[in-house]
Order: sequence, then C-alpha cells, then structure tokens
Amino acid sequence: MATTESTGTEFTSDLGTLAGEEHAPPGIGPYRLAARRLRRNKVALAFGALFLLIVIICLLAPVYANHIAHTTPSANHLTDQIRIDGKLKDVVSESGIPTGPTWHGRFFLGADTNGRDVAVRLLYGGRNSLVIGFIATFITMVLATILGTAAGYFRGWIDAILSRVFDLLWAYPVYILGIALGVSLAVGGLNLGVTQLKGNSLGVPAVIIGFIYVPYVAKPIRGQVLGLRSREFVDAARAMGQGHTRIMFGEIIPNVTSTIIVFIPLIIANAILTEAGLSYLGAGVQDPNPSWGTMISDGIRLIPSAIHLTLVPGMMLVLCVLGINVFGDGVRDAMDPRAKVRIEH
Amino acid sequence: MHKTVTGATALAVAGALALGVAACGGGSSSSSNSGSSGGSGGKTSGSGSSGTSGSGGGHVTVVQGTAPDYLDPQEGYTTQAANAMWISYTPLYTYAHKAGQAGGQVIPGLAQDYPQITDGGKKYTMTLRQGLKFSDGKAVKASDFPFTVQRVLKVKWGGSSFITAYIKGAADYAGGKAKDISGITADDSTGKITVELTQAYGAFLNVLAFPNMGLVPTGSPMKTVTTDPLPSGVGPYMVKNIVPNRSYDIVRNPKWTDTTIPGIPAGHVDLTVKIASNTQTEAEQVLNNSADVFDWGDQIPPSLMPQVQSQAGDRFKKVPSLSTYYFFMNTQNKPFNNQQAREAVITALDRRALSRLNGGNFIETCWFLPAGMVGHPSSPCPYGDPKGKPNLAKAKQLVQQSGMAGTEVTVWGQNRDPRKEFTAYYTDLLNKIGFKAKQKVIADTQYFPTIGNLKLHPQTGFADWNQDFPNPSDFYLLLDKNTIQTTNNENPGEVQDPHIQSELAYLNKVPASKLQSAASRWAALDQYTAKKAYSAVYGQDVKPMFYSNKIDFSKVIFHPLFGTDYTSLQLK
Repeated sequence: MATTESTGTEFTSDLGTLAGEEHAPPGIGPYRLAARRLRRNKVALAFGALFLLIVIICLLAPVYANHIAHTTPSANHLTDQIRIDGKLKDVVSESGIPTGPTWHGRFFLGADTNGRDVAVRLLYGGRNSLVIGFIATFITMVLATILGTAAGYFRGWIDAILSRVFDLLWAYPVYILGIALGVSLAVGGLNLGVTQLKGNSLGVPAVIIGFIYVPYVAKPIRGQVLGLRSREFVDAARAMGQGHTRIMFGEIIPNVTSTIIVFIPLIIANAILTEAGLSYLGAGVQDPNPSWGTMISDGIRLIPSAIHLTLVPGMMLVLCVLGINVFGDGVRDAMDPRAKVRIEH
Repeated sequence: MHKTVTGATALAVAGALALGVAACGGGSSSSSNSGSSGGSGGKTSGSGSSGTSGSGGGHVTVVQGTAPDYLDPQEGYTTQAANAMWISYTPLYTYAHKAGQAGGQVIPGLAQDYPQITDGGKKYTMTLRQGLKFSDGKAVKASDFPFTVQRVLKVKWGGSSFITAYIKGAADYAGGKAKDISGITADDSTGKITVELTQAYGAFLNVLAFPNMGLVPTGSPMKTVTTDPLPSGVGPYMVKNIVPNRSYDIVRNPKWTDTTIPGIPAGHVDLTVKIASNTQTEAEQVLNNSADVFDWGDQIPPSLMPQVQSQAGDRFKKVPSLSTYYFFMNTQNKPFNNQQAREAVITALDRRALSRLNGGNFIETCWFLPAGMVGHPSSPCPYGDPKGKPNLAKAKQLVQQSGMAGTEVTVWGQNRDPRKEFTAYYTDLLNKIGFKAKQKVIADTQYFPTIGNLKLHPQTGFADWNQDFPNPSDFYLLLDKNTIQTTNNENPGEVQDPHIQSELAYLNKVPASKLQSAASRWAALDQYTAKKAYSAVYGQDVKPMFYSNKIDFSKVIFHPLFGTDYTSLQLK
C-alpha cells in the first residue's frame, strides 16, 4: 500500500524557518535559497536533465515520424519491404516474424508484429505516457490542494467526511483500483457532465490516475493546514473580516506551496509508472495508441525472437522514472532538507 | 461451431516491467510445471509428466488460450466448449471418432439406428437405445429429448435458429407462445421419438448431432449453468471441477465402456484443461512438456515456430481446416449499409498481411465457403486476387463515391493473439481508405456474447467460423436473416438479403446424401454473396496439432469438426 511519510512536524514548509538552518544572506528569499541548494546537487540536476531530454525527444516524435521514419505510429507495413545495405527485406516475414533494428531512418528499432515502426511508437508512446503523467499530476494536485485545505481548515464534519473518503481510497491498492476503473471505463468512456471522454481517449487513464493519487497528497496538506489555521497571520486575516475562501487561497495555500512543489515530481513519476502498469495490463492506454506499457505487453510474445520490443520501452520507462524521481528528491532536499516525502506502493 | 474463441518502489516496478517480463514470457515453465501437477480437482496428475503410463490410464493437461464461452451443454458454441461437450453429452446422433472426411460421418448416438425419414423429409422417427444411463446413474428416457431441445431454446444457444426455423412449434416455444414444442413427441415406454419439421432440411440429421443436443435429464435447470454441478449427460466423459476462466476437468465416466454405444470409445486418460494467459505461454508449456495438448483453436506464435519445428517436429503438424475468417460489416447501419463502402473494404483488404499476422497459417480467400466444402467457388474473386496486392487507390475512390468518407467506425476486436493484431490492421486500413475508425478490443471470453447482443448493433469487427457439420448451410447460418436474435446473435452483420433467403429455402432442403448435386447452386450463391460484399472474408485457417512428448502422437485422432479427439489421447 502506498504511504506518505512525514517528519514529526508533518512536513513543515515554513521555508523562512528552514532557511535558518543555512545562514542566508539578508534579502534572499526561501525559493532562491532552495534554488541555490538545488544547483549544488549535481546528481539531481543530471537526472533532471535526463528527464528533460526524454521529454524533448518524445515531443519531437512527429518530426521524427514525418521526416525520418516516414510513417505514423499506427500505420501497418505488414507486406512492405525495406532496403537495407542494398538488399530488400520484408518488414514482416511471411511466417509473421518482424524485422529487427535496421539502425537506419526507417525501422531504426525494427518493427512490431503489425509491421509498425517501433522507434516511432516508442516516441509517441513516451509522449502519451508523459501527457498522461502531467495531466494526472495536475488533476491530483488541484483536487488534493482544494480538498486537503478544506478538510484541514474547516475541521468538523467536513474534515471527517473528506478524511474517511481519503482513507477509503487509500485502502485500495493503486493498481487494483486503477484496473477496476480502467476496465469499466474502457468500453463506455467517462461522462464528466461538461465533457465526455471516449473509452479509447488518453484522458481516461489520466483522470483515473489523477483521481487515485489525490489522498496521497491531500492528507499531508490537510495535516499542514491543521497547524497553519491557528497561526497568528490567519487570526489576523480573520480579524480583518476576510472570508473563508480568501483566507484559504490568500493565506493558507501560499504556505503549503513548497509541499505542493515537492510532490509534483514524485506524482509525475508515479503517474507515468502507474500508466505503464495499467496499460501493460490492458486497463490504461488502448490500442492502437502506443504507450510504453502497451509496447512491453505487445512485445512479450516475441521475446524469443525480438527481445528489443520489450526491453527498449522498458528501459525508456526506467530512465524516465529514474530521472524525475532523483530530480524530485533533489527538489525535496532543496525545499526542505528535513522532510521525507515519499510515495510507496 | 464454432467461433474459435476458441479463447516497493517506483523504480522496482519500472524494473519489473522492463526486465521482469522476460521471466513472465520466457520462464513460464516452472510455474506451469507446478500448475499442471495438481489439477483443479486436487487429484495427483500433472500433465503427462506424472500420469500413469500406458494406454489404459493417466492424466493429461490441455492448455487453451481462452476459456470456452459456456460449459453449459446446451449453450457452449465455441471450439473449446465443443471439445468437452461432444464426448460428455451424446445426442441422438453424433459423429464418427475418425480423422479426415470419415469424421464427418453421422453415426447413431443415443438413437438405436438412423432415423426413418418420411413425409417428404419433414418427419423423423427414432428409437432410443435401451438401458442407457446418465453419468449420475439416472435412466435416460425418451422424454429427455424434448426437454433438452426446450432447454436449448431457453438458454438461447447461438445456433437456436437451426431449431426454431425447422422444428414445428419451436419458434412458438422460444417466443413464449407455447408451453412445449408441438413438433416433438416422445414415448418413454417404447423409447420412440418423432420430430416434425415445418419444411424439409437436408442437414437436419446434423442438427440432431450438434453437441448442444446431447441429452440432459428432465428437471435440469432451465437456465445457464456455469459452475458445478453441470447437468449430467451420457458419454465417455464428464465435466467437473470448474473454476471459471481458470480450469476444469474432463474425467472418464466410470460407467462407460467401448461397447456402451458402438463407435463411441471410452477414453484412455483423464484431462485437466487450463486456461493460459496467452498463446505464447500455452505453446511454451507444450514445447517444454509441462502441458500436453495445445488447443487446436489457437495458433502457435510465429516467434516460437522455429523452436517448435526444430525441437518438436515429431509432435507437431499443420492441418487445413474448414473454416472462414472474416470481418463482419453491419449491413443495416452506416457506413456499411452502403454496398460501395463494403466493396471498398474488400478491395483494400490485404489478405497476405493478415496471413502474416497469423504466422502464415491462412489460405487466402474471398469466398465464404472454404475450400473443401461443397459449393466453394472456383471462379476469380470479384474484388481482386486474394493472394495479390490490394488496390488502395480504388478503395479510396469507392469510399468517396459512397458518400461515407469520414464516417466514424468502431471496430470490435478480441483481446487474443493474433486477433487483436487483426483488429489493429483492419482499423488502420479503414483509416487509410477514408473512414474514421477506432478499435474497441474486449476480453476474449466476452467478445462473442458482446457482439452477439443485437442491441449493440456493432458496426464491424472480427469473426470466424469453423464448420459444425460438413454442409454449406452451416456457414450460411451466419448470413441467414432467420438467425438474427437478441442475444448470441451469429449474424452480427445483420444480413437480410431476399435472394439469399430464397436460395437457402431451396438449398437447405437438399438431403445431405445429394449435396453434390447442389454444388453449383451453392457456388452461385457464394459468388453472389461475395459480389454483394456482405463480409470481408480473408482466410481459411490451418490448425496446429501439437502435443507433448508424453502423448502417443500416432494415436491422436484430429477430428474435422472437433479437432483433437480427447478419447484418442494415450500416453506413450
């Protein structure tokens, strides 16, 4: 089960206090101080750069597909032939075995069973994984911030209800809940009132993953808000006649921003990983949309003859998650060296 | 029959996905070893590996890539279901336990002899054998036959139209207008059974020989039974210990001997059928001898074929089957209610591509009636050579002319290799020629019940058919207006063509013994069907015979209708 650990002080994010650990020159704000700390963490920066590189490469997927591979991620080339070193070769043999890496523009990493270009699908798959990761993180952070703040600020029955809902969601293993939602929404899609997501839309796994991780962020925020709500500056705002909404958005939330920032890379990493897991199990991205998870799943039956179909997307997934995770740890250390924020399954 | 559904830390998880799958795919032998040694019923068995040796006993493990659609004897309609049913529920007539064409011969089952056919082919009179008992010890009565037919209709078997279209009063019973089927009478004291038809049907003896017509005792539940105990039957085997979508046992009926019914042998071994997660695992288990029988409804993955041929060439063989693989197109809804739109699909279809997805195990064809079936046309295909390059440009032009360009199409597919890949290819093809297609792939066991739900009106998708009996009318069930029903609909294209209906009205009356005399008319009908582009037919399957080295390969009977005949399996 996922747990979120905090220090005894519940992930204090009063950066002004923390800044006292390191005697900052006068006039340096907490965020500049955090940035200075992050710059000194070369390992974190290197992995952040790795993640950024993967993001850029994946964003360039259409350029690669159109100008180098000359295909699309779902175009089948089952009966096509390619010329390699002057010799014509079937993309997929008559007995159904796809070509391996050509190390040329077309089929650089070979073809899959449907004769689709693996390199193109890898980049588009990465794009899809990243898009889902970012959207899911946005959904998680927005919902968790609002709900966690409301629970901690109002306390009483609102807190009781929201906290029990968080507990309920938390009690379900992430993948079981994700599969249950993914499978049920894959056929009928998701009606959100104002808009409807079709079953094969990337929005479906993004919403599911975003929803699943809300308690993992909302609960620490709630804990922090419980402490903040009785602080002097909140009392002062209340004495000045400010309403609840203004106090929450004007006084409380700015003071939990560091927590939110620290959680963002961690949630992105977990969302990408969860998407891959759900897609691998058939409950995430739906064919013919590629994703690293579906590519690993599709490649399994060809392991004896084409192990790269499984290994390449797997390695991309590892590098991507490793990059954002290590960078996220660096951000956490920079923002709050005493905090131990971690999301575990 | 049968549609072949046959059927820690973040990093650690990432690592598992990246690398661990190799163990998942490649290292299945260890898990399957342990899995196959238990049997779901808790007996000591374990594939051929631990069974009693010799021709008189033992236990084997069958692996199937998908579960039977139903194990209920009156409702199962996939090859996986039929494999178990035809040896556990004997009908009045059944098929010879022989390979090749001889296996298509109907022999008396629970009936003493062949029926007396009178009244211009509209009345069948039969007598039940004496002294038969169900596997639970109850005596078999003639009245169990009308009960069984009623049960077939109550559970809405997919082939119900074979009954409702021909047996007098069956349609009224199915529609709730009658309490019993007026065309069937049975006398328990004499064992005499008569069946009156509304019209002569040349293949009616084959209808009586459907495994679904295997007798069950009067009083069995009038609803689908999916778990133990199934209704008892009469046959050399019994199905028990069902773990849905995981496993079931097919064990010998201790009361059955080779002489109980001539021509229906007692089996040599008990079987545990296990549902494998995918065909790769399934094939690997048989290759490394941790399971014994590969499901004939599945295909060995292309990547494993070189290994199978080099390491297990003496226990593997390909057998052409009488089957048709096609994409149905719903003729009542956009865009395929337009003939030009359907022609476009067939013109663009690259059957060579689909054959490659099937590991090269297709005979590319455009005809609905497969080669080897009476009536298979020998003329050129109307929309291009099935073995040649398709004409994409013409297909695009046809889509434009049809006015259906840009129409949204949902392509239904089954989550099972290589059918999932067929669906991906087909979806891409539809997009290439001008439709706006997206695919919807659903769990293999749910696929046919889903597309068979008439309310859904699926636009297009994967379909296949393996012969139920050696008669072209079996294949034309799929294009017969009368087979359209609310659930388990076998005509998802909702084809309702007056010419087909009028031809079937004539051709279905031709007695099985005179089938050759109608061959040219069947061929003309098949040419008409192809010309109207009702289905995008692409191949006739070549089936695998693949067993572990514990099985005596020389003794295995590969039946033309039921594939591996489990009664013929013997350990070396």
